Amino acid sequence: MSIQELIEKTKVSFCQDCGVCTGSCPVSRVLPGFSPQQMVGKFVLSADLGLEDEVLGEKDVWSCLTCGLCLQRCPSKVEYLEFVRAVREEAFKTGNKTTFAHNGVLETIAQMQTGGLAQNKTAWARQAGNIREKGEYYLFVGCLPYFDVIFREMGVSPLSPASHMIKLLNKLGIEPVVSDEERCCGHDMLWSGNVGLFKELASSNIELMKRLGCKKVIFGCPEGYLTFKTYYPLYFGELDFEAVHFYDLLAKQIKGGAFQPAPMEHTLTYHDPCRLGRMAGIYETPREIIASIPGIKFVEMERNREEAVCCGISCWANCSSYSRQIQMDRLKEAEATGADTLITACPKCNIHFTCALSSSDIAMEVKDLTHVIASVMDI
Amino acid sequence: MSKDVLVIGGGIAGIQACLDLADQGIMVYLVERLPSIGGKMAQLDKTFPTNDCSICIMGPKLFEVERHPNTQLLTYAEVEAVNGAAGNFTVKVRKKARYVDEDKCTACGLCAEKCPVSVPDQFNMNMGTRSAIYKYFPQGIPSVYTIDDSACRIFQGKKCNICAKICEAKAVNYEQKDTVFELDVGAIIVATGFEVFDPSDIKPYGYGTIADVITAMEFERLLNASGPTGGHLERPSGLKIKAEIKQLEKQIKKTNARLKSLEKKSRGSTDETHKTLEDMNERLVVLKDKEASLEELRDIAFVQCVGSRDLRYNAHCCSFGCMHSVKEAVVATEHGSELRSTIFFTDMRAYGKDFHEYCLRGASEYGIQFVRGRVAEIGQGDDDRPVVWCEDMDIRKVEKHPFDLVVMATACVPSKGVENLSRMIGFDLDESGFVKTDPNKPANTSVKGIFVCGCAEGPMDIPSSVSMASAAASMAVQTVKGLG
Repeated sequence: MSIQELIEKTKVSFCQDCGVCTGSCPVSRVLPGFSPQQMVGKFVLSADLGLEDEVLGEKDVWSCLTCGLCLQRCPSKVEYLEFVRAVREEAFKTGNKTTFAHNGVLETIAQMQTGGLAQNKTAWARQAGNIREKGEYYLFVGCLPYFDVIFREMGVSPLSPASHMIKLLNKLGIEPVVSDEERCCGHDMLWSGNVGLFKELASSNIELMKRLGCKKVIFGCPEGYLTFKTYYPLYFGELDFEAVHFYDLLAKQIKGGAFQPAPMEHTLTYHDPCRLGRMAGIYETPREIIASIPGIKFVEMERNREEAVCCGISCWANCSSYSRQIQMDRLKEAEATGADTLITACPKCNIHFTCALSSSDIAMEVKDLTHVIASVMDI
Repeated sequence: MSKDVLVIGGGIAGIQACLDLADQGIMVYLVERLPSIGGKMAQLDKTFPTNDCSICIMGPKLFEVERHPNTQLLTYAEVEAVNGAAGNFTVKVRKKARYVDEDKCTACGLCAEKCPVSVPDQFNMNMGTRSAIYKYFPQGIPSVYTIDDSACRIFQGKKCNICAKICEAKAVNYEQKDTVFELDVGAIIVATGFEVFDPSDIKPYGYGTIADVITAMEFERLLNASGPTGGHLERPSGLKIKAEIKQLEKQIKKTNARLKSLEKKSRGSTDETHKTLEDMNERLVVLKDKEASLEELRDIAFVQCVGSRDLRYNAHCCSFGCMHSVKEAVVATEHGSELRSTIFFTDMRAYGKDFHEYCLRGASEYGIQFVRGRVAEIGQGDDDRPVVWCEDMDIRKVEKHPFDLVVMATACVPSKGVENLSRMIGFDLDESGFVKTDPNKPANTSVKGIFVCGCAEGPMDIPSSVSMASAAASMAVQTVKGLG
């Protein structure tokens, strides 16, 4: 896509030059000089002056968290996220790439999954409960088995929510399909400009669902859910399966009386992940699940739902001092509510906040919502 | 064929249209929904760019409408149906019961003084209170009182009758009923004005949750000598504390009296009452400490384009927001010379006669700071003071600034009744919901014989409303004289 096409498609020429995006941007507040508004301005100008290559080579292309807070507030409805995604795709082609954190191990894992890699992803699942080879429901586990190995030392256990999901689904009479052949959803590749790799991963997954005859794909991870729900159809057209978020399913079952959570005395607050909240519009079901636990006191952070702030990193890229600053501000906001536990609904948010918390003196716990709800269920 | 004209809406536009027609010998009916004519302009403290007192300009016009031999004022009334065509409209009007005889009431105010009910005062933007029997505003015309049946004790099935008893003119009549009648008119002028956009829709601005974030219209009332503070510039959070103290003192007095009577009868335990009293006294001490620590208001922020020029809410510019913020900053500084005002703007749209000069004077003589940048969010900082986050677009820097008070230049949105009226009469609305007009004949609606002026047509300031009113009146004359 040419820069001119990209500008027209994402409506960046509607920009009023008002600065609401930059004033709202969590990165701009901690990284002086970074400005979504100026990114827009530069690209519009570059298209006029024929300086496309220069702007595509800028480092700032990778500083955006793609959290969507600017988009939420833009009075001109500039499609900033689509703009950044398109810019990154073009930048990647010119050789301008992001710097991955954790020595790029997670990018490597994604890359390895395109070949004929034989994965052993499901051994834990058989221990957790009943799973099937074929069927209507598919449980998309995504990167959790890999995260579990990489981040175990940090004290998080990304696989435990996945095990709990199988147990809870079994309790509802659902025996989901879990497959060794499942690939990374491609989210991180899509948002770091590597659209070629994204497409390879996505088409393998779509092919797999077709082969297994799955009609409903259940997700615990917001990124997988969003990628399947929004971006697979964008690149591959209408799909013959439906993406379902586990919390939507669970909240409905709790409301219907299928589960009676046991009491738990805690004060909780909840962090809306960008992909689940602003981008997929799921704000209420996680809150309904929390509210269903007797004895819980739930408190909101000042910035919640549409106004929630990012956990500081996306795509495992660009983890730096500004990420830490954003995380610390968010943790302090959570602490100010008087809650003893910060609930997250995204494995990455969970890892990032746990990491930030470990080097702070904030006396709080960070926990995954599935983990919390499973601990008060009879499973 | 009728030679009379109906004007719907008694704000500055409707009033001007009414007077222009009446002066030309045409009989005019002026229908106003509220108990008094005056509209939004009556609520303003001053006008730009001259700093003239708003009600002082308007007052004489209000009187003139009432005493003019060619006008008939129908306040507290609404249009219910319109039939016919240009030259021959039949209009059904419902005049709501005031429960006060307009001909007898002398507006002495004794009734309101004795009324035991206290409800938020709509004219003062719900800051301050009024009684259930009330006059919409001191200079309101007609100068009569009205009973608010949603608040009055009689209409809630309780015993009262105080106002009827005290009224020397015997004007109070709880049995009064709505009256419905028909008017025959040749032309109609729609002057239904605008509404202030409700900024609580914009969550990051904290309106409704942060006490000291208010709308420009609320600020006008805070500045005004007949407003809830008598013109003393105070923080709404301070007003809240004072109101709570007053209420608590009343409760304490009541509880003390109850305690005394309980002790006199020496029946049952008084422990619980003692405990309640103790709690209330403790709370009173806390509140009084807070009241004592209230400092003078020093820093005011003006936030422009709140809900305007925003595709999520209203795409159109409110057209007067830049100017009224400069005016309010100027007038505020006249209230206290120590005051500092900062205006956060998208673009300064000072397009009218003497407008730009007014802004320059605001900066040089009154020290107003102008910051180019739309406010991203308003949070709550130390001592619950509002904190404004904004990128200064000139120096490209994101900064947060604490303020004592944040005043929002809210969007101008169509009045609630205009959609209903458009269905009733059949005229078209534009994409923003204002009355659609012909660019070459800006007072003409899409229906022959129906004209429009003021903010019903679109956002405009007072001078434009007045000139559009004269234009609409002139077009209406052509219709009723069979010229056009």
